[in-house]
Amino acid sequence: MVSVNAKAAGDPILEIDKVNLTLGGHEILRDVSAQIGNGEFVCVVGPSGCGKTTMLRLLAGLYQPSAGAVTYRGQRMLHPRQDIAIVFQDYGKALLPWRTAHGNVALAFEAMGAPRNGRDEKIEQLLVKVGLGGQGKKYPNQLSGGMQQRLQIARCLAQSPAVLLMDEPFGALDAMTRQGLQDEVLSIVRETGATAFFVTHDLEEAIYLGDRVIGMLPHPGRVAITVDVNLPHPRNQLTTREDPEFLSLRRQLFDFIKDAES
Amino acid sequence: MNALMRIDPRGMILPVGLIIVAEAAARLTNLQSDALAPPSDILLSGIKALADGSMLYATWQTLANAFAGLAIGFSLGMALGILMGLFRPLNRLLEVTVEVLRPIPSVALLPVALLVYGFGHRMEFSIVAFATLWPALILTRSAIAGIEPRLLEVSRALQLSLGARIFKIVIPAALPRIFVALRLAVGISLIVAVTVEVTTNPMGLGYKMMEASQGLQPGLALAYLVWVGMLGWAVNGIMVLAQKHLFGAAANVEARL
Amino acid sequence: MKVERLLWLGASVLVFAGFIYFWQLISDYRWVSPVFLPGPDRAWQALVRGITTGDLLVRWTATIERMIYGWLLASLAGICLGALIGSSERARAYIGPTLELMRPLPASAVVPLAIALLGLSETMVLAVIAFGGLWPMLLATVHGFSAVEPRLYEVSRALGLSRTAVIFKIALPSSMPDILAGMRLSLTVALILAVIGEMLASRDGLGSHIMLAARAFRSPDLFAGVILLGVTGLVSAMLLSWFESWMLRWRESR
Ligand SMILES: Nc1ncnc2c1ncn2[C@@H]1O[C@H](COP(=O)(O)OP(=O)(O)OP(=O)(O)O)[C@@H](O)[C@H]1O
Ligand SMILES: [Mg+2]
Repeated sequence: MVSVNAKAAGDPILEIDKVNLTLGGHEILRDVSAQIGNGEFVCVVGPSGCGKTTMLRLLAGLYQPSAGAVTYRGQRMLHPRQDIAIVFQDYGKALLPWRTAHGNVALAFEAMGAPRNGRDEKIEQLLVKVGLGGQGKKYPNQLSGGMQQRLQIARCLAQSPAVLLMDEPFGALDAMTRQGLQDEVLSIVRETGATAFFVTHDLEEAIYLGDRVIGMLPHPGRVAITVDVNLPHPRNQLTTREDPEFLSLRRQLFDFIKDAES
Repeated sequence: MNALMRIDPRGMILPVGLIIVAEAAARLTNLQSDALAPPSDILLSGIKALADGSMLYATWQTLANAFAGLAIGFSLGMALGILMGLFRPLNRLLEVTVEVLRPIPSVALLPVALLVYGFGHRMEFSIVAFATLWPALILTRSAIAGIEPRLLEVSRALQLSLGARIFKIVIPAALPRIFVALRLAVGISLIVAVTVEVTTNPMGLGYKMMEASQGLQPGLALAYLVWVGMLGWAVNGIMVLAQKHLFGAAANVEARL
Repeated sequence: MKVERLLWLGASVLVFAGFIYFWQLISDYRWVSPVFLPGPDRAWQALVRGITTGDLLVRWTATIERMIYGWLLASLAGICLGALIGSSERARAYIGPTLELMRPLPASAVVPLAIALLGLSETMVLAVIAFGGLWPMLLATVHGFSAVEPRLYEVSRALGLSRTAVIFKIALPSSMPDILAGMRLSLTVALILAVIGEMLASRDGLGSHIMLAARAFRSPDLFAGVILLGVTGLVSAMLLSWFESWMLRWRESR
């Protein structure tokens, strides 16, 4: 078992402690432990089916562990919380098609019972922040894939989350859109001081975004490797990706994935 | 989707429970009613009516009327649907006529049919024919519109005659969806036939039901009601099975009017 | 594009007018006895007379009222029950098969029972309409509620929506296409059952009007009634389909 320790000083905000998870008679995760520090950006990589999504859903409180515990600020996660936001991979299914972009963001405020005063302005600010300024009246199916994912992020930001859980949020997007959104997420996370847990298939994306990258292996799902990313902030699509540290981390993770798949 | 195939024991609790409760309630209150009867009475009346052949004869009358009307209405509707689906100008020219005639409730023609034909088979199946014509037309038309355009281009490239085009390309390609229309129309034909019998025509299951009810035989009337439900269920079940058998999983399309 | 569409529509209206003219010819040349088939001219006269004297108008409104009350009753009950059943896996397992058993039962087949229970009363007619209209509504709503995208339930859990908020903000709007389709079907059924109820119970309305006209061989009155019923069906279907496309405007906007 490889234990993953919080890099950031102080208590971890989220902690997975010796968790086993069995779903429908299948052991999906075995003896998984991980700690995520406050304000840390943790990325998770691993071959398909190794349990990345499952781990994220545990952190979200959508699943309960069969053994072990998931804690948030020292308390057991028994159900989803409003200060933990989830960005789903399938944005097409996670948005309400019958509500406009504005209405989709409003849903988060309605859930929190936020006052109506000034709500519209806040929503517009959030839309501007994710680059959807002036698109509030459009329905999701009038938006491109990238715009729909931005909209989902805006809705998550409306929760003013302490933690952002993202499950391959850019998996279905083209390379250019992807890079743009990576930088946007980075700046939003830095700006709000939120903690981020980011699942991806893309090793470079993981290194580019993360303070730390966790590698998982399947059958059963477990944490196999963890690497610290000591790349300077703010990151830059050109210079960061050419940094020798970046290249050596990429090599290290690439070998890990290759071994896992052979 | 299909209640015939899987039987979940939990689903049986409610109907069985209701029957038991109805029976117990009828016995405890010593039910004397012109409208209601205990399930045991319904069952007995039903068996008696089946045994003396009256129920089967009425069933035969109803089914004969329903299917005769269906045969006329559906084939007419299907023929029109194919033509309108194939020839867009025809479709556009008939649009208003179809949209104006289609919403006429079939029972509105009941008195007309009564006036023209009097009581009997003809008035009943003419109304069934009218009622089934529209779903046949609309659904066939949209089935044709849903045919892969490549197929139609192939038939044109091969210079097939109109008849060959319809029978070799169009109908086979649209058949799964036309069959769904037929399934729907079969249900409608039965409903309309019973409706006509309940309302006016003195024959078949609907009339028997009315007669029993007015003759203060609630057990028999309810037995007919249950029988009509079973008949509708069986006919639909047969159509579903036939659809599965003929078209396999590819036929899993639902009809929306 | 738009002009072409209008031209076709005009041509289509002309074709319809042609059919009417043909109908006129049939009666003018006595190809069919006018006892059975009055010309459109006489049917129209009967219609105008009926409306101006108010007789027909009163009956027409009575039929429409019955149809709408019964339909609203059915819709309300159908949506509420359907929501209850559809939103719970358990309820579906217990109640679903019973609904499937009842589904093919023609609503008109319960008329004798309804008459025996409630007599030839207004309540009976309304009960039959509501019963008949209930099934399409119920089945459509159950289907809609059970087909809600599961991801949306997770979204609402993550957002911390309350139970009622989930029903009104997620499940209900998501089932709206099914519910509206059910309402459309239910409205058709309601009109048919209103007519039948009036015929059988001799309540004042278009149903009894056309039945009496047929019995008395007053074919122009009969056809006037049939025309009004057709208009009722057409207009109600059109209104509902406008309402539907307005409610579902988020779907077309591509
Ligand atoms: N509800 C469930 N019931 C049974 N097995 C499940 C369930 N959910 C997931 N699994 C199984 O758990 C394993 C891990 O699934 P998970 O979705 O977490 O993988 P993943 O790492 O996110 O894969 P991908 O990269 O393809 O998204 C898979 O083998 C999957 O089949
Ligand atoms: Mg996944």
